[in-house]
Amino acid sequence: MFGYHEIPADLERDPISISIRRRDESLLYRREIPADRMEKILLGKGSNMAVNPVEPLMKPREITPFLMIEFERSITVEPRSKSRLLLAFPVEIGVFLSNTTGYDLLDVFSLVKQKFTLYGDPKNGVVCKHWKSGLYFSKPSLDPLRAGVMELVIANNSGVWVEVSKAVFNARAMKIYYKDELVSASAVMKIASPQVAETDFADTPLEDGMQKSAGVYSQQRLAIIAGKFVMEWGT
Amino acid sequence: MRRVLYGDVTVLDLLVVAIVALLAVGVAKVLAIYLRRTLKERMSRGHLEILVKVVYYGTVVVAAMIALALLGFNLSGLMVAGGIAGIVIGFASQRIVGNLISGVFLIIERPITIGNQVNIDGVMGFVEDINIFSTIIRTYDGLYVRLPNETVFTTHITNYVANVARRFEYVVGIRYSDDAEKAMRIIGKLVEEHPFALINPPPEIFVDNLGESSVDIVVRVWGPISVWYEVRKTLLWKIKKALEAEGIEIPFPQRVIWQAPSSEVS
Repeated sequence: MFGYHEIPADLERDPISISIRRRDESLLYRREIPADRMEKILLGKGSNMAVNPVEPLMKPREITPFLMIEFERSITVEPRSKSRLLLAFPVEIGVFLSNTTGYDLLDVFSLVKQKFTLYGDPKNGVVCKHWKSGLYFSKPSLDPLRAGVMELVIANNSGVWVEVSKAVFNARAMKIYYKDELVSASAVMKIASPQVAETDFADTPLEDGMQKSAGVYSQQRLAIIAGKFVMEWGT
Repeated sequence: MRRVLYGDVTVLDLLVVAIVALLAVGVAKVLAIYLRRTLKERMSRGHLEILVKVVYYGTVVVAAMIALALLGFNLSGLMVAGGIAGIVIGFASQRIVGNLISGVFLIIERPITIGNQVNIDGVMGFVEDINIFSTIIRTYDGLYVRLPNETVFTTHITNYVANVARRFEYVVGIRYSDDAEKAMRIIGKLVEEHPFALINPPPEIFVDNLGESSVDIVVRVWGPISVWYEVRKTLLWKIKKALEAEGIEIPFPQRVIWQAPSSEVS
């Protein structure tokens, strides 16, 4: 399903169906998933189509750049230490069409339940896309159409044990990689105190041989994306 | 340097005046740049240019008066005339100046910004523009309303979108014969399924009142400010349909009337 495809294309993987077919002088794009269907007429010949995981911010509507991953169980991190763990993150799938220099977004869909939450207070806080994840110390087996694996490096720079139950990211700066049965991202969390931490994404794949996704935001021309987010209302 | 050129004016005086003039122009330019940078995003370009010009030429005029005083001109007459003119103009343009000052304070305090949904003095709608003298509102009916800034600044302002999230509430009345716990479970499931009904702050669903005709269930939900109204509209209809599908009805107001037996009446 994920990868670059020549047009016309017909992609099927349960429960997703994507096709671009020639019809007279135009192209007909069709995408179907349970309870959602999209059809578009494309004027032009088209050459390539890319289907890959994108930043999980577009569905059901883009209302925030922030993603909160809440841990199923909180963890307590030793002072002045650096640890690594794996989390799951929600996957949204983008369909792109090639242009003269890159790719333009045609469609985004998702198979996972969407939910939002507030981090902080209503005046100064931020609305975040919410996702609840288990904690893993070895690569979990996840459906790549629904969830990716995020490597999170937690550096506790404070002098005290800190309990961490969630991570909030500016997901516009997310760098996603994929291969056949794996979607991945890498992030860091630098804890300054029990209440304050800074998160950021790293541009590294989880395994060798992974392909970098065409992101919704990284495709935007002249886009300057700040990736860091300061968690000021607790970890 | 002490050479007299005209009356008491020496070359030194002229030099000092030239330095004052240069300094004044320099200060005026720095002020103009500072104002442009700081107010660029808070004011429209047209109004900012007017403000910059007023500050620029005001600085130059003050410098010119200082220079004239240095050259020995007696400015007391000008001051008196200026004072009287100021009083006259002040009385005549009291409201205008009030609006102007209120506009400046609105720009500094920023209780509202362009695009906000607000209620100002009973006028509800979108803020279209904040000018120096007035604020323009486009009401939900699509009407253009111009409010003087003095009114905006001195009245109550409700900004519906100042915070990132807000709460809304329904009161759902069900019959006494219905299972209120089941109704709350159904409502809770619908709220949980709605993507924009926030997880935190958590929603509240509880029996709030045992009314004359119904058991009143209060539903309180937080939504992101950009979509809360849409959530409010869609969720209520879903609740109604889901309750009806489960045989739970929203009752009409009712009153039980006991009629005395006919023998007692006679």
